[in-house]
Amino acid sequence: MPVIEVKLSDFLKLLGKDLSIEELSETMPMMGVSWEGSSEDSFSIEVFPNRPDMLSVEGLARSYASFMGFNTGLRNYKVLESDYTSIVAEEVRDVRPYFCSAVIKNIEFDDSLIRSIIQMQEKLHVTHGRKRRKVSIGLHDLKPIKFPVIYTTKPPEFKFRPLGERSEMTLSQILSDLPKGVEYAWILEGMARYPILMDSKGMVLSMPPIINSEHTRIDEATDSIFIDVTSTDWKAMNEVLNIIVTTFADRGAGIYQVSNKYPDKVVASPNLKPREMNLALDYVNDLLGVNLTHEQVSAYLERMGYGVQFEEALKVLIPSYRTDIMHQMDLVEDIAIAYGYDKFVPEIPPIASPAGEDPLEIFCRSLRNLLVGYGFLETVTFMMTNRVKLFKKMCLPEEPVAEAENSKNEEYNIVRNRLIPSLLEVLSLNKHHPYPQNIFEVAEVLILDPEEDTGAKTAKRLAVALCHAKSNFSEIKSVTISIIDNLGIRNINIEPSDITCFIEGRGMNVKVEGHLIGYAGELKPEVLENWEIEMPTTALELDADALYDILAKCRRRV
Amino acid sequence: MNPESVASELHENERKIISLLKDRGELTVDQLVDETGLSRDAIERACDWSETKGIISVSQKKRREFRLTEEGRQYAREGLPEKRLLQTVGDDGIEIAQLKERFHPLDIALAWVRVNEWGTISGGKLKLTTNGRKALQTQVMDEKILHKLMESPMEEELLDEAAKRKITLMLKRGLVDVSEATDKRVKLTGFGESVALSLEHISDEKLITQLTPNHLRYKEWREARFQRYDVTLPAPKVYPGKRHFISQVIDYIRRFWVEMGFKEMKGPILELAFWNFDALFQPQDHPARDLADTFYMKTPYKGRLPDERLVSRVKATHENGWETGSTGWQYKWDPEFASRCCLRTHTTSLSVNTLAGLKESDLPAKFFSVGRVFRNETIDWNHLMEFYQTDGIVVGKGVTFRNLLGYLKEYLERLGLEKFRFRPGYFPYTEMSLEAEVWIEEKQSWTELFGAGMFRPEVVKPLIGFEVPVLAWGPGFDRIVMRHYGINNIRTLYSNDIGQLREAEIWVE
Repeated sequence: MPVIEVKLSDFLKLLGKDLSIEELSETMPMMGVSWEGSSEDSFSIEVFPNRPDMLSVEGLARSYASFMGFNTGLRNYKVLESDYTSIVAEEVRDVRPYFCSAVIKNIEFDDSLIRSIIQMQEKLHVTHGRKRRKVSIGLHDLKPIKFPVIYTTKPPEFKFRPLGERSEMTLSQILSDLPKGVEYAWILEGMARYPILMDSKGMVLSMPPIINSEHTRIDEATDSIFIDVTSTDWKAMNEVLNIIVTTFADRGAGIYQVSNKYPDKVVASPNLKPREMNLALDYVNDLLGVNLTHEQVSAYLERMGYGVQFEEALKVLIPSYRTDIMHQMDLVEDIAIAYGYDKFVPEIPPIASPAGEDPLEIFCRSLRNLLVGYGFLETVTFMMTNRVKLFKKMCLPEEPVAEAENSKNEEYNIVRNRLIPSLLEVLSLNKHHPYPQNIFEVAEVLILDPEEDTGAKTAKRLAVALCHAKSNFSEIKSVTISIIDNLGIRNINIEPSDITCFIEGRGMNVKVEGHLIGYAGELKPEVLENWEIEMPTTALELDADALYDILAKCRRRV
Repeated sequence: MNPESVASELHENERKIISLLKDRGELTVDQLVDETGLSRDAIERACDWSETKGIISVSQKKRREFRLTEEGRQYAREGLPEKRLLQTVGDDGIEIAQLKERFHPLDIALAWVRVNEWGTISGGKLKLTTNGRKALQTQVMDEKILHKLMESPMEEELLDEAAKRKITLMLKRGLVDVSEATDKRVKLTGFGESVALSLEHISDEKLITQLTPNHLRYKEWREARFQRYDVTLPAPKVYPGKRHFISQVIDYIRRFWVEMGFKEMKGPILELAFWNFDALFQPQDHPARDLADTFYMKTPYKGRLPDERLVSRVKATHENGWETGSTGWQYKWDPEFASRCCLRTHTTSLSVNTLAGLKESDLPAKFFSVGRVFRNETIDWNHLMEFYQTDGIVVGKGVTFRNLLGYLKEYLERLGLEKFRFRPGYFPYTEMSLEAEVWIEEKQSWTELFGAGMFRPEVVKPLIGFEVPVLAWGPGFDRIVMRHYGINNIRTLYSNDIGQLREAEIWVE
């Protein structure tokens, strides 16, 4: 989630109050941001993805001033009419279809504002703009632009002078040679023509969403700007424009409307008219478990920057920069925040409902307690592993297993389908501890199974490994039989097993009514050598699901 | 103390020592080792016990002992260089230049020949003096000492003044090393003498240390005395078979939920993106769904979506809010993306799966789960790609945000946390969303523990068919286990170090 850095003096100036870092760090998290830390003259906070309007110092100060009660209620942002026009050409429809724009005048650019705007633009690009794919923003010096501005497309060989470059470059050069081009070229991949924003004299403003032109560079002398937002998402685009223009307005600048002429319609932007949503008082009280009056709810909503009109019901006016209000419940959360999460009295409701653990889990706990009775130590290992550990070191043939396509750790890219290798890994890492090392685990493995909707079945297994100087087949067989005896399962068959991790003639399969429910044996020296274990080791693995099913069936018979 | 009762409690080794001392007077520990054939360790321990009881007195005496160095041993075998040099000189003397090629180490030999006044050098020629010729005939003192030392170390105490002087020189020359050792001398005290006497009376009786089946079978124990043990002595460590500490904590947490009246929900660790994300109203372009954080599967790549009615509701809710009263995310929902397989990133996938199976008549209902979840993280001291999470949901008309706080407060208190708070948080699928934070005294700051909230109507209604409040939470508890066991590195939780597991205290709550 995005973290923004805020200069304390700048923030306090916008707030018009003098507060200490301590006061801010105590109160700000209760408004719904994470306090990330501070230095003497700055602090950083993490803004939740649903509140891009707080990605600027101005937006943060606006919300905070409200929350603290310094300046509550709906802010009225005036949008002045103007003759500025942008033309959206038909060609952009297949490339990057949406466009809106605005003009801002009387800006007093200083260091703080420039820093805040750059930070906000960058964070909006990453979050709301999904790395510029969904939304990208261009800010231009208004002076050199000859209206109307035209949003159209140009072929790759089209040339202009990109921001910060000495000479003109073709669009394909920009994508292959400039850092920004390389970073965002993926968004335009496969397109025959690229988006271009130019003025009526043919001077290029930008190549959205890649780079602006040198022609409209903003500097200290700039006092009026033209903002363009291009997008693949109508809603997100307008939200972003509203967030930016209100940020400038908070610094005293004036907002001017632009007419955006699409082939089939004319849309004026920005549109800062608040949305309306009705809210029932009972809904609020029922969800929060409190008993608030209309007046209280109104006051709390105003603390969160909303306007409230009260006729027969509450009519909430939602500021145009709030992008996250989809449902009445979103308003209820803001009421809860204004009320103070720390003010709610926690209360466990008197709800009676059937309770209990899953029977298989109860069974697994019985198994674990039985195994502890033998003096074995329980391990808890990772389910993710790799083919070397699961097959190669075990001298087992490769089997199809669940595999991740994108693991960041090469060591962990598949999910185990048996448990014994996990135990051997534990033994291989504990050679410096005294023996005997007798360990067990009752845990999950993943078996590919086309019958399942997901193509894989989560299965429970039990495994034991006995590692000491006198460990032998007879011992592991005794343990295996003892476990099964203790479960009261009588009708088992033991057969020689040809599973290749055991010494030939020292592996056995355990079957019940013809079904394989487990195997056990003495591990091959080759396997032990692969794990660098210098101690005779035997192991068993039982299918805990199968054992459980057998027992459940027996019980049903009774 | 009564000498007889003391005598009857003696350890076998003490008895051996006492009877030796009675016959021989004072002995060193070395001598006792030689005489008894016991280990030095056993003798020292027995001496300690007897000394504590006032039977023997132990005096310590330092002694200096000389031994040959490697160089010393070489000269003892080959002869001193200066002596060997004498043998090559002959009556007429010898040219130094000539010696340079034949004799080694010439410088050392010449230096000592001169110090001993065995020879003179003039005109580049070495000639023997009378002393030198005499030395050639006899074994000089240095040689005698070398040969003696070759046989055994010499104690300083036993040397005469001349020998001491010589050895001091040899020390400087690096032929001899000195080591300091302490002799422990042991003798019976007056009390010890009487214990030794009583020992004679009882040593005929059978003394039992380890009681054996034969003692019992043949009633031998009736005639025997039992050696009394010093019960304060350390005993060897034993390690029990034991549950892994995480496993014990999981049991505790399960018990907690059951005591609170929750029913367990179960489900697969490999899930459709539909259950992990879409059913939770997470938009398909949400950063949390990125490849970067989630293990998407190569095998199995895709699965089958659940029944069409449910899928179409979820789709409509994402796109336009369906009948939930929401605006929805306003994008085109892609069933292909939802049918991708992934390892569940939270057990909340179980919670929504459970919700989807509920009917109005099942309510109110409370469910919990404890299970493994997976995140595509690079492993370091603070991050793992697998860990446990415990989810809970409470579904019922009239449940409130305050109820949510009530359950969470109880959970945190039962896990032993004292100072915690709830602050606003954000999850795409809850509203109110909150973060539970704990106060870390050492860091003087709040640390996030887990998130919780009330499921959005956009989550609940498509799954269950009607609107009902659902309280939901999904805490991990690794941090709490780490705090309890004083573990700083998260990797240690699952490293299965057998030493750590053997030493780990059991969870007693």
